[in-house]
Order: sequence, then structure tokens, then C-alpha cells
Amino acid sequence: MTAEPEQPVPLEIEVDGLRKTFGRREVLKGISFSLERGGFLSIFGPNGAGKTTTLRVLATLLTASAGKIRVAGHDVKDDPMPVRSTIGLISHTPMLYADLTADENLRFYADMYGVDDREARIGDLLERLELSHRRHDLVRTYSKGMRQRLAIARAVLHRPRVLLLDEPHSGLDPRAVDIFDGLLAEIRDEHTFVMVTHNIAKGLEWGTKLMIIENGRIAYEHAAGVDHDTFSSVYLEHVHDGSVL
Amino acid sequence: MNRQFMAILRKDLIRELRTREMLISMILFVLLAMVIFHYAFSVKEGADLTFFTGGMLWVTFIFAMLLGLNRSFAQEKDERCLDGLLLCPVDRVTIFLAKTAGNLIFLLIIQVVAVPVFTLFFVERSYAGDILQFLAVLLLADVGICALGTLLATISMNTRSRDLLLPIIFLPLIVPVLIAATGATTLIFAEGASFGSLLARVLFLLGFDAVFLVAAYGTYDFAIGE
Repeated sequence: MTAEPEQPVPLEIEVDGLRKTFGRREVLKGISFSLERGGFLSIFGPNGAGKTTTLRVLATLLTASAGKIRVAGHDVKDDPMPVRSTIGLISHTPMLYADLTADENLRFYADMYGVDDREARIGDLLERLELSHRRHDLVRTYSKGMRQRLAIARAVLHRPRVLLLDEPHSGLDPRAVDIFDGLLAEIRDEHTFVMVTHNIAKGLEWGTKLMIIENGRIAYEHAAGVDHDTFSSVYLEHVHDGSVL
Repeated sequence: MNRQFMAILRKDLIRELRTREMLISMILFVLLAMVIFHYAFSVKEGADLTFFTGGMLWVTFIFAMLLGLNRSFAQEKDERCLDGLLLCPVDRVTIFLAKTAGNLIFLLIIQVVAVPVFTLFFVERSYAGDILQFLAVLLLADVGICALGTLLATISMNTRSRDLLLPIIFLPLIVPVLIAATGATTLIFAEGASFGSLLARVLFLLGFDAVFLVAAYGTYDFAIGE
């Protein structure tokens, strides 16, 4: 008997030579990386390094000046619609309408994404996020932590394959961070993740792949398994503002 | 497309009817403008203002719409909701059409309040027999104002000086609509007008609407992009 050859895990994200220019300023100077399906890429770097710009290009919110970027097999520039159906973005701003209720916000996004089982899906998500009791309250009455939980519901409502996280812990108190991480653990196996963060501990905890972007270039790339002290010293070699950790 | 169009429109209507930010400021502006016009033009007892009526009405609506346009996208920028909208798999033209339809509904609500008050203040003859012509001119001019306004408000919202930029680019471009609508409305208020006598102006308004709807169709992806 011969053993079945192991199937390679397909790539969910492929970035090749990504450049982005704003006016005369080149923010991304040729970034290339890939991430397999189910992977978790943690991106670190100082402010202004180009981390969020990279994420926004993946999310189709910015157009690359050069390079090829594919998400779930679709080119983000030439074929953005299927990419948008495939991704969810959780940012430190929740992208929720403050003058609508949680229920109205999620119904709006469900209609935009064409979620078939809208009522059941919204009910299930609000239940899992412990927001059912506040579903008919205006979002402007929510705490920051509650808004961030609702932002998770917005981002995963359409069952995206890829979740992009842009400093998701920013501004959360320790209790809200715990709740957020608990939710992340619940959905970890359902998605491929790219997380931009300044929080080394969180990035190392979740990441299957680690990356440091500095001055628009990848300064360091490594598979998971690096201990905190080693990574911190590598990080400090690349980040000189001392505002992290 | 229809589902997404309705979702955006419904969302904008719910928000506005709940907060009334746009509607209250627009209605207050329109009513105050009429009071000011009333005193500014009452230089002589019994002076005939008939030939100013169309101009007064449309200048008021255009400036009121400027107020509304600035607010309609300011709300979208709050909490980066625009990013949430742009992340959705929605044709950008659908966003334009829904936003335009929302602005059109708000303008029509203002006009339902403002036109009777204006008629009471300034129009001396009854134009009940010409109401269909008046409504046709009103609707065609409104579509042009809202289509152009929505397109330009989208372009200006990503700039630092959007409150200044929007009037600077909107007012010169809306002049053709102002001329046609003012001419037709003055004619209706002054002596009554059949569709035949308004044909050139109505066709002009139709053409303007078509040009800017097509222009938005071709450019909105770029306009709402980065």
C-alpha cells in the first residue's frame, strides 16, 4: 500500500510586488507574501509603515499602484466583487450607523451581502455575541466594547472566508479584550485571518505566520513558534519609536 | 441591484426620519429665506414681484439642497461607515442611484412644505390649472439638482475643504437647470403655460438629467473610490 500524497493547502491570499503611492509618497515599496487557507498572518510594524494600507488594498478599499494581489483566487483590482463577498473587515472603528439599532445595522448589511437566512443568521450572531437583549437599541447607546462585538457580527454576517483585522484590540478595556478574544477563538477555524496589530503578545498568540513591515517593505517574515522575547528583540531592531510592546 | 438599492435608500430614510438633521435644517433655511425675500423685495406697497418668483423659488431650493448634500455624506463618513458600504459587493452606480433617490425624496419633502408657503407669500394668481406643468418642471429640475449634487458631494467628501468645495463646483454647473426651471416656473406663476409653450425648457431639463445620470454612471466608481 502506498500512502496518499498530502494535498498542499491552497493559497487564500497571494500578494506579489505590491506598491502603493499617494501623490509622490510611496507608502508600499514592493511587498510580496502569501497565506494558505486557514492561516493567520500577524502583521506588526511602526505607525506609518504601511500595514493598514496593505490591509485596505486586500479589502479593495484602495487600489494598488502596482503588483498582483489575489484573494480567494480573485484579482482584487480586476475582479473586486467576488473578493468583497469573500472578505470581512474588523477595524478599530466599527463601521456601524450610530443612529440605527443593532438589528437595523445587521439587516442593512445582510441585504447588501444577499444573506439568504437573514433573520436566523442575525439572531444567532447576536445571541453568540451576547447582544440579543440590546438588539433594538440605537448603536450610539452602546459602549466601545459592545460596538466592537457588533462589528464582529457585521464582519462575519455573510460568512466570509477571509477576515481582515485592523488593530481590533485598540481602545478596548481588558474585559472587552477577553470577550473579543473569546469570540475570535470561536470563529478561528472558520476563516483565514490577516491581523494588523501593535500588540506583540496577541499577534504571537494567534499568528501562524508573523511579519514586520517597516517603511513600506517587509523587514521580517517568519512562521509561528517564535517566543515573545526573541520576537520582541527582533521587533525592536526594526521599530525605533519605542512606543510598542 | 434592486435589493441593495432599497437597502441603502431605506437605511438613509430611517436615519434621517429618526434624526431629522437634514430635513429640519433644510426646512428652516427655506422658510427663513422666504421671509427674508418677502421683506427684501417689499420696497413698495403692491409692487409686482411676479417676474422674480421663479428665481426666488429655485435659488432657495438650490441653496437648501447644498445644506442637505453636505450632511448626507458627512453622516456616511462618521465611524467610517462609508468603508463598510464600499466593502459590500455592490455596484458603485447602485450607491449613486440610491443616494440620489434619497436626496430627491428629502428635497420633495421640503417642497411639499415650502411651495404652499411660497405661493401664499408671492404668487398672486392661481396656477391650479397649470399644476401638472408645474409638477413636471419641479420633478425634472429636482432630478438634475440631486443627480449633479450627489455626484459632486461624493467627489468633494474626500477633500479637506469639502464644505467650501461643494458650492464652488456645484453652483456654476447647476446654472443651466436654474435658468430653465426659473423661466418655466415664472411663466407658470405669471400667466400660465401649456406643455407646448414649456417644451424647450422641459426638453432641456430632460437632457440635463440624462447627461448627469450618464456621467455619474461612467465616473462614480472613480468618484467614490480613494
